[in-house]
Amino acid sequence: MKTILDASCWLFRELDKISSHLINRIINKRYLNPKKMFSTLIEKELKSIILGPKFLTTLVVCSILILLSVFIGIQEYRAAVKSYEAGMQLVDQEIQEATSWMGMRNRIFRKPDPMQIFVSGVNNDIGRFSNIRSTEPIKLTNSIYSDDPIFAAFRFIDLSFIVQVVLSLFAILFTYDAINGEREQGTLGLTFSNAISRFQYILIKFLGSWLGLVVPILIPILISILLIIAFGIPFTGNHWIRLIFFLGISVLYFTFFVVLGVLISALTKRSTVSFLLLLVIWVTFVLILPRVGVMAAGKIVPVPSIAEIDGQIEGFSKSRWDEYMKEIEKKFEQRNKMMEGMTEEEREAYRDKHMWDWMQENDALRKKLQADINKFSRMLHKDLRNRKTAQERLGFTLSRFSPASAFQLSAMNLVGTDIDLKSRYETALEEYQKTFVDYVEKKQEETGGGMGGIRISVSSENGAKYSFGPDKGSLETSDMPRFQETKQSLSSVIKSTILDILILFFYSTTAVVGAFVAFLRYDLR
Amino acid sequence: MIRLVIEKELRDIISSTKFAITFGVCAVLILLAFYVGGKNHQLNLSRYEAAKAENLRKMEGLTDWIRVNSHRIFLPPQPLEALVTGVSNDIGRTIEMRGRGELSSVDSRFNDDPIFAVFRFLDLDFIFQIVLSLFAILFAFDAINGEKERGTLRLSFANAIPKDKFILAKLIGSFTALGVPLLIPILLGCLLLPLLGVYLTDNEWIRLGLVIFTGLIYFGVFLTLSIFLSVLTKKSSNSFLALLVIWILAVFIVPRSSVLLAGRAVNVPSVDELSYKKGRFRAQLWKEDQDKLGEFKPSTDKDPEEMVKEFNKFMQELADERNKKLQDYSNRLNEERCNKQIQQERLAFGLARISPSALFSLAATNLVGTSIGVKEHFINEAHGYQQSFAEFMKEKTGMNLGGDVILFRMKKGGDEEEEKPIDPSQLPKFEYRAIPLDKVLNNSILDIGLLILFNLVFFVGAFVGFLRFDMR
Repeated sequence: MKTILDASCWLFRELDKISSHLINRIINKRYLNPKKMFSTLIEKELKSIILGPKFLTTLVVCSILILLSVFIGIQEYRAAVKSYEAGMQLVDQEIQEATSWMGMRNRIFRKPDPMQIFVSGVNNDIGRFSNIRSTEPIKLTNSIYSDDPIFAAFRFIDLSFIVQVVLSLFAILFTYDAINGEREQGTLGLTFSNAISRFQYILIKFLGSWLGLVVPILIPILISILLIIAFGIPFTGNHWIRLIFFLGISVLYFTFFVVLGVLISALTKRSTVSFLLLLVIWVTFVLILPRVGVMAAGKIVPVPSIAEIDGQIEGFSKSRWDEYMKEIEKKFEQRNKMMEGMTEEEREAYRDKHMWDWMQENDALRKKLQADINKFSRMLHKDLRNRKTAQERLGFTLSRFSPASAFQLSAMNLVGTDIDLKSRYETALEEYQKTFVDYVEKKQEETGGGMGGIRISVSSENGAKYSFGPDKGSLETSDMPRFQETKQSLSSVIKSTILDILILFFYSTTAVVGAFVAFLRYDLR
Repeated sequence: MIRLVIEKELRDIISSTKFAITFGVCAVLILLAFYVGGKNHQLNLSRYEAAKAENLRKMEGLTDWIRVNSHRIFLPPQPLEALVTGVSNDIGRTIEMRGRGELSSVDSRFNDDPIFAVFRFLDLDFIFQIVLSLFAILFAFDAINGEKERGTLRLSFANAIPKDKFILAKLIGSFTALGVPLLIPILLGCLLLPLLGVYLTDNEWIRLGLVIFTGLIYFGVFLTLSIFLSVLTKKSSNSFLALLVIWILAVFIVPRSSVLLAGRAVNVPSVDELSYKKGRFRAQLWKEDQDKLGEFKPSTDKDPEEMVKEFNKFMQELADERNKKLQDYSNRLNEERCNKQIQQERLAFGLARISPSALFSLAATNLVGTSIGVKEHFINEAHGYQQSFAEFMKEKTGMNLGGDVILFRMKKGGDEEEEKPIDPSQLPKFEYRAIPLDKVLNNSILDIGLLILFNLVFFVGAFVGFLRFDMR
């Protein structure tokens, strides 16, 4: 019996030794060793995030939203391509069926870009096409929203919208109680009874929340990329680089809200207060500041409306045409005077001799008139663009106080659906217009002009006579200059986004530093 | 006892920091919306007047009405459209007027100034739809489960109060504490309008009143929904999470997705497709008429003037017939497109109406006259004006021309009377009549009714849920 008892005591002593040794090893390894403690706390943070209802909700909502937006974006892009191709085909057909170079017009449609799947920007707000002819200024008209206002009622849903509004809100939801929540639960003091520095703790908090949110977003984004490939969307290397940049900016923007959440939770004692504050900041940053900035610029820098500008151009055009007509009448009278005293045969001969010169003279006057009108129109439009640029600069500078604006602007710039899209296109179209008009005039000269349509002459000798223009398809248009899209180079795109990226980086860094400083002074009790 | 609970609820809300902050934010936003709306209206009005004056100015000095080849009419800015913008900035606001033929509106504000399209405007629709609904959730997400968590629920029921009265008092208390203070900045905003030089007619005041009323009902939907979910869930954090997801879905996702899905489900022929078909048909008719021209035989070949007269008559008859055919064909195509659009709209808005936010937005834009129907209404009004314009031009020129004219006139000798310039102010004025109140009421009654129904359903849900609520 004694032997059994001795053996048991020995066993207990040995077990006690082993367990003490093990516990000490664990403590030394995981809790007293700062490195191990760091990974343990990250593990704990990740576990508490992943096992909580917030994570599941975020994962489900984000996955549905991101996949839905990309799927809808792909469908919209394909519909836009179809419409673009149909439009261009119809224009080609019209050109081929034209019977005269006089008044020949072209119409250029804006080509859809696959990147609009992710950031629609102002793509649906600005016109889809512009007429190209000598007598009409370049103007993109008929936007998707103006043609089908139903789509304007609630606007589009794209990835940039989801990141800007939904993910930023989820970032707040994950981090609003990162510090003060732990204090309220009493776990903050408990954690600091171990060998962990405040610096490490806040880093853990930040990394844990960040990883807990990035992972659920990455899954649907990767599926979206697969969707792009599966649907055969023509993504070039340039597109992929821009997409990677866009995703990088999204992560930076999202990081700002994660850090902001940690900062506010380190600045406040109660989680309800930090949540309320964060919500007000979110509303201000995401919904209010961007709009207020632009609206204030609208008030400070007034810009005349297009209708006013068009009216001024038409007024000028009318007065120049009046002058032209007077001059033509004068020339006509002068020419008649030269023929005074001539017989009908002499007049006929004189006319035949000088007709070409007269036509050239009249044509030169008409060209000068058109050049004057175009010059005036360009001057007014240039002035309008300058004013608009000033307004935009001010508007965007003011709205950039919000990281949401900086994100939105950089995303639109990267993708090419920014507000300069319209002016870029119109400038390129103006260049094309010159080439097109020169080509048409050259053709007119080569073929000897011709008004096309129907010519009717009525005389007492011959009665009524009709003659029609050439048959359809009789014009040789195969060498007609084609409009070439001017693609923005990757470097210029990145250059245009660099300011916004720096702003986002600045905001995030400031929030990180603020969070560290605030937590260093935080009362853990 | 019910009065006591209402009083307690009122005190709890009004004396909280939450209320001070949210009320401050909402008040600033509402006043800002009224201020910006008023200023925008003034700006739009001055632009509209300038464009109208420019339209007449360019006609000055012309000596013949036949040379008026460009006359534009504009959609006048309405004071309320600055408060609930709807699609007013997305649709074309200028129509090039012709004596006959189809009319189309161009020059939307967002196309002209894309800067405003990037973030859009801050208006009452936006504030009610997004900000106030979020604040309603923020105040009521823990209405019941929060009290349970704090232990005050059992304390309340230590008194003689039935469950039904308690939940009713909660709802009345929350609504009064949140809804009534909101009326203060709204009323101040209304007072601000005349100070900014924006004078509303009685009809417009009624419309604005109805928008505010609808906004409060919408606010009520989120309040009752929050109370309902706080009854259904045990933990306030869970009810908040669920409400936030519902809010995101209702405000941002359901309305947009519905329209986009309907856009894919119902194939509406594009404007380009229609214009191409019309162009083809016009060319075909012109070809037929060219053949018919050979049939013209003048009664005399001696008098050229008589011949030209006969020929003009012949041509006019052909043109009238051709235009009639073209008009019929265009009407048929337009009608087909319109029917498809109606089908698409019904599906889109039918789906979107699952969301109270979409209901509010549709009702508010309908009431104000900035719903998607405004484009069609403007074109219809312009067609009405087209008749008087055509009659006027016919009276002045003897012709009703449908397109541009290049007129060459030859003077014979110098003893002719100096031609007098035309008086552009003689042109008939385009008087735009907004969609009548009874019509907009008819259009928005369904949405308002559904919002009330949502309120009732959520309240009944909260009521029934609370009767079964475990208070331990």
